[in-house]
Amino acid sequence: MTVDMSVAVAGMKLRSPVLAASGAFGYGTEVPLLDRRALGGMVSKGIFLRPRTGSSPPRIVETPSGMLNAIGLQGPGVDALIRDYAPQWASWDFPVLVNINGESVSEYGDLVARLDGVPGVAGFEINISCPNVEQGGLYFGNDPRAAAAVTEAVRKRTTLPVWVKLTPMVTDIGVIARAVEGAGADALCAVNTFVGMSIDLNTYKPRLSFRTGGLSGPAIRPLAIHLAHQAARAVRIPVIGIGGVTNAEDALEFLVAGCSAVQVGTATFVNPRAIAEIHDGISAHLELRHLNSLAELPRYLPRD
Amino acid sequence: MFLLNARITAMREVARGMAVISMAAPEIAAIVRAGQFVNLGWAGVFLRRPFSVYRADGERIEVVLKAVGRGTSQLLAMGPGDVISCLGPLGHGFDLEAGSRTAVLISGGLGVAPMPLAAKEASALGMRVTWVHGARSIEELCSESAGDEVIWATDDGSRGIAGTAISAAPDGDVVLACGPNRMLAAVADRWPEALVAVETYMGCGTGVCLGCAVPLTRGGYDRACKEGPVYRAADIDWAALPSHLSYAVTV
Repeated sequence: MTVDMSVAVAGMKLRSPVLAASGAFGYGTEVPLLDRRALGGMVSKGIFLRPRTGSSPPRIVETPSGMLNAIGLQGPGVDALIRDYAPQWASWDFPVLVNINGESVSEYGDLVARLDGVPGVAGFEINISCPNVEQGGLYFGNDPRAAAAVTEAVRKRTTLPVWVKLTPMVTDIGVIARAVEGAGADALCAVNTFVGMSIDLNTYKPRLSFRTGGLSGPAIRPLAIHLAHQAARAVRIPVIGIGGVTNAEDALEFLVAGCSAVQVGTATFVNPRAIAEIHDGISAHLELRHLNSLAELPRYLPRD
Repeated sequence: MFLLNARITAMREVARGMAVISMAAPEIAAIVRAGQFVNLGWAGVFLRRPFSVYRADGERIEVVLKAVGRGTSQLLAMGPGDVISCLGPLGHGFDLEAGSRTAVLISGGLGVAPMPLAAKEASALGMRVTWVHGARSIEELCSESAGDEVIWATDDGSRGIAGTAISAAPDGDVVLACGPNRMLAAVADRWPEALVAVETYMGCGTGVCLGCAVPLTRGGYDRACKEGPVYRAADIDWAALPSHLSYAVTV
């Protein structure tokens, strides 16, 4: 028996519910030991209109069951992305969404307009939740009006799928989720990293040069499942779960909690085969439970 | 690049608290170059830890380590038969070219890590190899060496020349160095063309996470795990590179 692992996220057909999260695969051109059959899609490293050098080191530090990062959205800018990476994506057999960043509402819209129609670009993940930039980022993600304004600005400039990546650093994620849905998002990605801090007792200073960083890994998983579930209850559009997924059971928890798919990030740093193992583990679980497809997986999603 | 479950075949102490671990990793042993590293994972740590490959033969690779934190203590507590997840070989090592007559290798403390392989490659290219082998004291000095000539140097004079490895080093056609970043900064002052292996925190070790940023004199950053960890000394903006990593503070 072959289990049907395909899933449709707001009209985008994915062969697997397991996607590579932004920042975990770079631009997809240097991924070690990639097993493509298992990959539903990839979200690119976050991009701005212009090149960015990123934060000074140290940029990462390990924490209990996770890591803090403050990379600072280092990237080559949209022109280099269109020139160097999109042409390669166009020949790949899985969709690549571009993670979109801006310092202003109009910058988000302009960036999407530049990328709309570029072969290889299958859609957009709007990052209103990066904790590691001085301008923009998190600011847009924790105010429902700003979140809606960014979504609307992007929506007007493209007919491709628009996913909006939410921050966990809010009082009620349902409020943001509904605002973004109302502004025309096709799907939500929940959640980005939690803001965290770690102190070096040799220097009595933060371990990260940016002072704070985004916490990822299994440490955040129960928090992330709850937030993804809350977001899914609040809206009718699909939610893609993110946060500490390292194995099939973790992914299944997000899926049962109401997510249509999951993204895997930090786990791939530890285990380059994580995505394939998660894919195969979900398939084995479905088979064991005599389910013919992912769509038959029971969900726990009482609606608000 | 290979991801292997490597069985530990032997461990030996080479200085106080410093040990060499041998593990069976034939695919990696066959292709690893001096200055490249492996990213090791074991139960008890979350992120993998990067280690320069110390020696390699047909079947086995070796790494050298010191207990500098909880993770490395766990690794040192393992023994033959235990299995380590081994990803590698990774990074860009020492580019040695035929034609140079002399190679000077300078190591400080745990900076011995890439040197036996570097000595072997330099010798194979016909170079006369001098290894200047330094540490704070004889207790912290790795007891193993390689090359045609070895110059020992300790800060307290307990073995060899009293002083730093840099002050004890002769000039050579090529200079290779590894040690604390502040030592490498001093190497860069004296030999801008030296090839130095830097240490940074790392996330993935494979080039995707951008965590191991190395500041460059031309501006911007690149990745210790991909373009590095070996650099031309003059290419690094030493003032912007953390001079020590907190886990490596052993005082």
